[in-house]
Amino acid sequence: MVGRAHVTRTKWWAVPTLRNMNHQYEILLALGVLSPMISFWVLVLFGPKMGKPLAGWFGVIMGMGVPLALATYVLVGWCGHVQSGTAAALTADAFRLNWATIGTIPITVGVKLDSLTVAMYFMVTFIAFWIFFFSVGYMSGHSDEVAGQSKYHRFFAYLSLFGFSMLGLVISSNLLFLFIFWELVGLCSYLLIGFYFDKLFASTAAIKAFVTNRVGDFGFLIGLMLVYFQLGTLDLDEAATRFAEQASMGTGIFASHFTMFGWSLATIMGVGLFCGAMGKSAQFPLHVWLPDAMAGPTPVSALIHAATMVAAGVYLVARVFRLMTPEALMFIAMIGCLTLTLMALVAVVQVDIKKCLAYSTLSQLGYMIFGMGCGAWIAALFHLITHAFFKAMLFLCSGQVIEGCHHEQDMRKMGGLRKKMPFTCWTFFVGVLAISGAGVAGLEVAHTKFGLGGFFSKDEILAVAYARAFEWDYEKHQDHGGHNGHASLDHTGVPIVRLASDPTGDDAHAASATHGGGMAAIFENTPPLPKWMFWLALITAYVTPFYMMRAWWLTFMGKPRDQHVHDHAHESPLMYVPLVVLAMGTFISSYFLFRPLIADAAPAATTAALVLATDGNLHTPAISAAHHWLVFGVGCAFIVGFAIAIGIYSRGLGVAERIKRTAGPIHTLLEHKYYFDEFYGLVCVKGCLVVAKICRFVDTWIIDLVVNIAASATERFAAFSGLIIDNHGVDGVVNGVAKTSMDFAGVVRAPQTGRIRHYVLFAAGVAAIVLLVVVWVGLESTGGATATVSAIPQ
Amino acid sequence: MLTIGLTHYLVVAAVLFCAGVFVMMTKRNAIGILIGVELVLNSTGVNLIAFDRYVGQGRVDGQIMALFVIVLAAAEAALAVGICINVYKNLATVDVDSARDLRG
Repeated sequence: MVGRAHVTRTKWWAVPTLRNMNHQYEILLALGVLSPMISFWVLVLFGPKMGKPLAGWFGVIMGMGVPLALATYVLVGWCGHVQSGTAAALTADAFRLNWATIGTIPITVGVKLDSLTVAMYFMVTFIAFWIFFFSVGYMSGHSDEVAGQSKYHRFFAYLSLFGFSMLGLVISSNLLFLFIFWELVGLCSYLLIGFYFDKLFASTAAIKAFVTNRVGDFGFLIGLMLVYFQLGTLDLDEAATRFAEQASMGTGIFASHFTMFGWSLATIMGVGLFCGAMGKSAQFPLHVWLPDAMAGPTPVSALIHAATMVAAGVYLVARVFRLMTPEALMFIAMIGCLTLTLMALVAVVQVDIKKCLAYSTLSQLGYMIFGMGCGAWIAALFHLITHAFFKAMLFLCSGQVIEGCHHEQDMRKMGGLRKKMPFTCWTFFVGVLAISGAGVAGLEVAHTKFGLGGFFSKDEILAVAYARAFEWDYEKHQDHGGHNGHASLDHTGVPIVRLASDPTGDDAHAASATHGGGMAAIFENTPPLPKWMFWLALITAYVTPFYMMRAWWLTFMGKPRDQHVHDHAHESPLMYVPLVVLAMGTFISSYFLFRPLIADAAPAATTAALVLATDGNLHTPAISAAHHWLVFGVGCAFIVGFAIAIGIYSRGLGVAERIKRTAGPIHTLLEHKYYFDEFYGLVCVKGCLVVAKICRFVDTWIIDLVVNIAASATERFAAFSGLIIDNHGVDGVVNGVAKTSMDFAGVVRAPQTGRIRHYVLFAAGVAAIVLLVVVWVGLESTGGATATVSAIPQ
Repeated sequence: MLTIGLTHYLVVAAVLFCAGVFVMMTKRNAIGILIGVELVLNSTGVNLIAFDRYVGQGRVDGQIMALFVIVLAAAEAALAVGICINVYKNLATVDVDSARDLRG
């Protein structure tokens, strides 16, 4: 970085000089997220016109080439900052924008800029780039089979969308946006698993993946809601600080007395957030979707279901680690332990090469989650990164094998392929070494140890697990002045585990001072890890090399078991480059770059007192001296596993068949994956159907009954109203009025007889009456009849 | 000896009047009705002369009015006969009961 200060010519693309630009890393990372989105839209809109090779290369360059370039630039710059110590300032000052306000709680969009982000971002772009590259060649032969629709550009469109979602997830600083990208990643997984949607098993596998993910997301949402309501914010850093405050003051989430299964509300929050990881990273009860997801094309399996998407769950746990209580972490460790053991056992009996790798992925994810639960934050993430490299490579190799054997995936029909496909064979072997944790235990030359992949990462997890199980002494040590949180001492007085916020290991004062009373007070009561968890993890470290070597041996060594398959086998040189690059990546990631970056991110990201990290890794001299058996027991596990596998399979399948017959029921149980699919099918699927039938019953007989009664009542009322009231009532009145008028008219008309004699009669009669009346009244008024008569003159 | 006073003449006139009205009411023949009309008019003439003789002091107004009544009666009878002739032309009969077209 020093030399760059002298550069005077400004490069044309750096017109606002990037070096001095504020928030340059955030902007570059965000651009890297946008680039695959642009690629997606272009491929969706113009893909069919772009045609076969162009669509693929566009996807490669725009979808992952640009992000990789940006990631490399950011990585280089960031490492410089880490070395010069300015990284923390950049993290604290990272870009945040007030986006919206829900109720009274603001949602801030931003890029979480720390070493873990940079490391993950680089890993994702690097592996994705080479897988995109691999797909250009691989999918050109594999994408004409989908009915009717065109295919090739669609694959790269989906891959680009996935790239966008995954990178967005990695840089999210806010749980809301993390969740949004989380769901998007799940959607892309659905689209890509179901890429061959005309095949029923592919589309059902896609649905299974999505639904299982959603089940996990149910718990995730509960956790999110608890974060939102109790902590009042969705920003990761703020949530962590508030969690620590509430823990120390006993307010907020810690003030509630609500318990479920003996878990406090804070634990429920942590477990809820972990449920999302259970779904996405396919942990124990929700693991059923990952083996079926192998129905998708091989690059999809490599990218999504080995390296990146399933790692998102572990990444989530890493990000929300500061919101976990010890009970939540214990739950996480238990689930991780169960997963790693059970899945490794199932992998032993798999005959399909991709399924074997799938169960291996499940088991390694279990290791990562187990590591997180034990508090080995650094080790778990380190294992994630090394695993991503070698698992992607293993899947690509398996893709080559399947392709070369003309779509034969059953390992029992392979054998002796090393002569036909030597390149694939030996890169696969490198992957097997990496996953088995192969290395020279106990040997250190010039501060470097010789080993590959899991030798460093998995063994570190086991070391931390051992420390948590056997050496966890959580009482206060008098000689340290009663500081809590400082985990334990070995018998020589050398701390083998220390707080991750305390990289130098000597100043425990500062550590407890920064934590305050509350967090440490909670975590000082953290129980040790149950010993059975450690033993299971250790035993599985022996099983892993066994099934991986078994897979390799059955595929590549020995005599060919199916001549037809063997004759057809071939390698295609186009695919060499990604495999080589990933093999180199496995090697490099084991030694350089990643672990220091993660270790740098650890203190800030894990202010919980419960994060433990060994000093470097298991194989430091002090530790080796103290725990010889552990070093060799773990470091040499791969030799034992390999030996057993080679011993059983060296002469073909005969010995294995005999073992299978003797261990019949166990084998059947493993072969059927503990009958989980049948169980879920019965309970969940048929349960849903039963509920649906009940609902239909209610709908038809109860709700429709009410509606029908209402309808017929209305109908009757209408009839009543119409026929009776209207016809008889209203019309009756009207007719009555008319009839009365007519009758009256008739009466009035009656005298008009037309006969003159009648008229004369009426006139004379009325006249007589009137005359009588007048005379009578007149006579009354003038004194009577007699007086008038007598007045008549004679 | 019975002294003939005003009352006796009024009674005669009244009887004539009633007879005339009765004839008007009951006769079906149009000419018969006209005869009744004559009777009524003549009764008024008798009435007028009686009042003139007994109430008018030497004046002859009553008798002049009676002459007017006779002339009017003659004119009216001529007009009425004209109407009857028209009725006969239209209906071929002088029966008033058959002229019922203006009934209600």
